[in-house]
Amino acid sequence: MDGPLGRRFPVAALAWQNLTRQRARSILAMAGITIGVVAIASLGMFGATLEVSIQGTFQDTASSVIVTPGDDFEGDAFDADDVRMVERFSTAPVYPLWTDSANVTSLEDPREIRVQSVDDPTEFATAEDGHIPDPWRSGALVGSSLADQLDVAAGESLELDNQTVRVAAVLEPSGQASIVSTDNSVLLPERLMGDADIGMMVLKAESPPAAFELGETLRGELNDRRERFSVTDFEEAIQQFNEQIGIISTFLLAVGAVSLLVAAISILNVMLMSTIERKGEIGVLRAVGYYKRDILRLMLTEALLLGVVGAVIGLVLSVFMGMGINALLLGDPFAFQPSAVGSVAQGFLFGTIASLLSGAYPAWKAANERPVDALRD
Amino acid sequence: MSVVSTVDAVKEYTRGATTLRALKGVSITIDPGEFVAIVGPSGSGKSTLLNLLGLLDDPTSGAVYVGDRAVSTLSDDEKTRIRRDTIGFVFQDFYLLPTLTARENVAIPGFLHGNRRETLDRAADLLTRVGLGDRLGHTPDELSGGQKQRVAIARSMVNDPTIILADEPTGNLDQKTGGQVLDLFDQFTDEDVAVVSVTHDKQVTDFADRVVGIVDGRLDQEGIP
Repeated sequence: MDGPLGRRFPVAALAWQNLTRQRARSILAMAGITIGVVAIASLGMFGATLEVSIQGTFQDTASSVIVTPGDDFEGDAFDADDVRMVERFSTAPVYPLWTDSANVTSLEDPREIRVQSVDDPTEFATAEDGHIPDPWRSGALVGSSLADQLDVAAGESLELDNQTVRVAAVLEPSGQASIVSTDNSVLLPERLMGDADIGMMVLKAESPPAAFELGETLRGELNDRRERFSVTDFEEAIQQFNEQIGIISTFLLAVGAVSLLVAAISILNVMLMSTIERKGEIGVLRAVGYYKRDILRLMLTEALLLGVVGAVIGLVLSVFMGMGINALLLGDPFAFQPSAVGSVAQGFLFGTIASLLSGAYPAWKAANERPVDALRD
Repeated sequence: MSVVSTVDAVKEYTRGATTLRALKGVSITIDPGEFVAIVGPSGSGKSTLLNLLGLLDDPTSGAVYVGDRAVSTLSDDEKTRIRRDTIGFVFQDFYLLPTLTARENVAIPGFLHGNRRETLDRAADLLTRVGLGDRLGHTPDELSGGQKQRVAIARSMVNDPTIILADEPTGNLDQKTGGQVLDLFDQFTDEDVAVVSVTHDKQVTDFADRVVGIVDGRLDQEGIP
């Protein structure tokens, strides 16, 4: 306290000295706050990072709009005019999806499979073996499950309806969330499709909100009273998903809050014990000219120091835990999400405020004890 | 003018349905530079009187004056300020802060209010004066009882008070150490600081300029041994 810091911040220096008296007790109280802060921060971060991780998986789907023939559509499938009409109103690229069936005649027991075509297959599939030609004029792309069943690999050939096609690539399994599932089908360039039908069109917008807007526009522009085109986007699904994530986050936050409450009670306990033990000493401080508010300030500073030191340690631990969560869910330890940083700040703030609140009553009690009563016992 | 005085001071404590009259009308005047010993059996009201003189407690009726100011008109903050500026306290149990050094303990009254550097310098001077110049950096658990009491006495002097109130200042000390404490008080009274000491110790009463007896809440010369 003789040091320059002690002279500059005498209350903080005195408070710190007091905390070092019951070192174990102070450390335990701090540990309570640390655990509370880590709970709030890491659970919040977990929620936020989980959301981003799941959104990443669904980003592609959620950014798409699907157009299929509506209830009032005349005919079985779209034709080139329908595609042009959709293209006229769409701000995003339109990918018609041709669908047909074919027999694999190279097998002893020929079987029927699904054949699909789309203008730019790289938008919907990735090659696992071989590569997707660009431009794509020949060569079949075989879905992963089908390739297993037919036992074909890139570079080999396949006989479809008695025509031989070379397998350019075997595709990676398409994820659960993908709109165009390629797993059990063969993709062929459009010119080899013959008179296939356009069963649906997929529109790829920049982002989910852009897709929702596009869906809205198309619904208005393409249809009059009759529903010729059925336009599907994933706004509702995303909303439901967000609501569920919200519930999970709130639950996690509540768990963190409970642990912080326990920590606050532990600080309350430590400070109350401290005021009882130091009653005479506080009486002396009042006797030698410390105002009530000086005692209040001293005791609150002690509680605050417990909280701040505990919270800072919690903050550091939370950042490390966040890095672990990021590495696990996003594959990059430093991919901190803004809302994850928010929950760390929230944890720190709650920890500090909790310590102040729980220090308030003991401080008030100590400050308002009459010095004569404090000195009597 | 007197340093501090009481006029017909009454102090009652209420515990449930019973009211205890600890002081039953005490008038006493303390003059600058005098050493007053207050004696009497335990429970006679000595400590209560000391608390009134030290502005630690208010009389139920009657008045306490500091100089010519009636204490009853003062707020808690004003009384606190008067205690800080004019009164020094020495307690039987020393009441030193265990984590602070001797010098910091002496300086504690001036730590939040006043010039900290000057207070620390003065604390060092006072400790040297009470013979602890080589113990400035020692914490209380490194000091003997007599040394602790001398630290407490140095603390009572740090704000340059006009009166020191001491509750059994030699109660926990042996004869020789008690004598050293009294010598210090003697030096202070020479500087016009009044010393009022509640005591059971004959060494103190022999030393005092004036001995005041108190029996059953009243001043009573019969109480003087």
